[in-house]
Amino acid sequence: MIKVDNLTKTYPGEVPTQALKGVSFEIKKGEFVALMGRSGSGKSTLLHQLGLLDIPTSGTVLIDGVDILALSDAERTSFRLNHLGYVFQEYALIAEFTALENVYFPAMVLGGERNKERASELLKLVGLEERLHHYPGEMSGGEQQRVAIARALINNPKILFADEATANLDTVSSEVVYRLFQKLNKELNQTIIMITHEPEDRKYMDRVIWLKDGLIEKED
Amino acid sequence: MNGIDFKTAIFVAYKTITRGNKSTAVFTVFILSLSFFNLMFVSGFLNGFSDGIMRSMIDNSTAHIIVMPQEKPTVKEFILNQEKVRAQIETIPGVVGTARHYQLGGSFAYDKEKMGEFKRVSAPVIGVTQSEEKKILTVYQNIVSGEFPDDLKNDEIILGANLAGGFGTKQTSDLGGAVVGDEVQVTYSNGIIRTYTIKGIFKISMGGSVGGTAFISAQEAESVLSVYDNASEIMVRVDLIHGTLDEYVEQIETIVPNLKIEKYTNRLSTVGILVDAFNIIAVIVTVISIIVAAITIFVMIYVNAVNKRRQIGILKAIGIKESIIELSYVFQSLFYVILGTALGLVIVFSLVVPLLQIRPILMPFGNASLVYTFVEIFINIISLTISGIFAGFIPAKMVARQNILRSIWG
Repeated sequence: MIKVDNLTKTYPGEVPTQALKGVSFEIKKGEFVALMGRSGSGKSTLLHQLGLLDIPTSGTVLIDGVDILALSDAERTSFRLNHLGYVFQEYALIAEFTALENVYFPAMVLGGERNKERASELLKLVGLEERLHHYPGEMSGGEQQRVAIARALINNPKILFADEATANLDTVSSEVVYRLFQKLNKELNQTIIMITHEPEDRKYMDRVIWLKDGLIEKED
Repeated sequence: MNGIDFKTAIFVAYKTITRGNKSTAVFTVFILSLSFFNLMFVSGFLNGFSDGIMRSMIDNSTAHIIVMPQEKPTVKEFILNQEKVRAQIETIPGVVGTARHYQLGGSFAYDKEKMGEFKRVSAPVIGVTQSEEKKILTVYQNIVSGEFPDDLKNDEIILGANLAGGFGTKQTSDLGGAVVGDEVQVTYSNGIIRTYTIKGIFKISMGGSVGGTAFISAQEAESVLSVYDNASEIMVRVDLIHGTLDEYVEQIETIVPNLKIEKYTNRLSTVGILVDAFNIIAVIVTVISIIVAAITIFVMIYVNAVNKRRQIGILKAIGIKESIIELSYVFQSLFYVILGTALGLVIVFSLVVPLLQIRPILMPFGNASLVYTFVEIFINIISLTISGIFAGFIPAKMVARQNILRSIWG
């Protein structure tokens, strides 16, 4: 499903920083993969390239056979909307939208029907059926993260990316999020790529790709 | 850009406005209303100034249309059978009134101290029938001494303050302070000499050269010129609600094809230069006001867009097209511009215009007022709206083009 070949990313500057130095790997459909490594190892940079939030310096990324580096800006935007879901560490909800609006908004852009109903179902799935009309500022961190997960799922993405989605959550909330991801992975065969720092989270994953200094150190 | 994109952009704009900071929104609208007020007030005031000068010319000197003696095939000194000509012109719907003028040139001699020392100046003399004159000109309303009676006798004269002297700024060609009741001797260009008693003095600050003229009765003018039922000019006042000046001129030309017809605008001379100058100033000030208003909108929307950079980054990250984001900011900008414009209109027409009616600013031509045409108001609104569209679009474009991750995380 995802084929990454010799991917590099260098951040320009007075002293250019090479965050990815030639990364290659494959991920199959329905896999729940963790990207792990120490701070500065390049895992966030890699996730940003895979999630089309940033543009790699060189290499190839194929998602379902589509060379995403060959896409125009508009095509990348459309690809993100139609095929990818992204959960940020800091939730990244739109403060002016209610939970329900945050979730159905990406679907609204595609013009589908029953968006609100589907958004309500997803919020119910993440246990927030009582918080539909609350604004992000009125919810806890765990609740906001679950809204972000529901939003990421609204357009039935091929791949769900999660960037340290539990880093700001307490143990109980983290457990809820992981169980939710596991449920999505097992029941809906959802492909998930997630960054985590916690080795004990390994139990939820099919596979872990370890990064070190911009290179894959190992896979297990 | 399709219907869904529009709907999405409106949704984002609506939520951003309704959930945004109310104080900031009120402040933005207030600032924009002041920008619009500035645009309206300055252009309206300058229009009012030009309009006041023109009105003063029409009311005190020329009326709207001047009918003059024939020039082709032969030049004639007078309009013949003026009463018949005027009666024909007055049949045109919308003509308010007509009046004949005899134009004479005279040399005035005035002995202020009655010591045999005459001060002599040359000035135009106009022969009028005051009952006709009152229908078209308002000189009689500007009498500062004595009176301008309907039955001005043949040995009576009305002097302009600039000719009489002693009223305000001293003129080089005044009589040095002639007062009502004094006598002046006038030697006409045909050699006839008449002595008149000053019956009244009028003062007109704006109105061309009329402030330096003298009025005698039409019968006296006919006596001096040895003519009857003639006129040097026929002044025509019209109601511009019923037709344009050009339409009236066309109709008069049909009635008296052999006579020369002029619009008052042809007589503006130095006043016309002044009016043209004010019109140019009005255009310049209006353009500057629009630019200032556009910059104001731009700065406010840019600050708003920069503050919403995270929101813009998130919208891009979830796959919202830049064009939708830009359009939503254009809608936000338009919302503020429309409210600001509406408030500006309320300030102008509900506050300033009535205030100027209660406490007018006195100008040489009368009370200054704000003058607008619907076209000018429309142009001002459209100018500000277009400025708002660009001022909303450009900052949103600038912010939306930034890297997604930098937008979200700063």
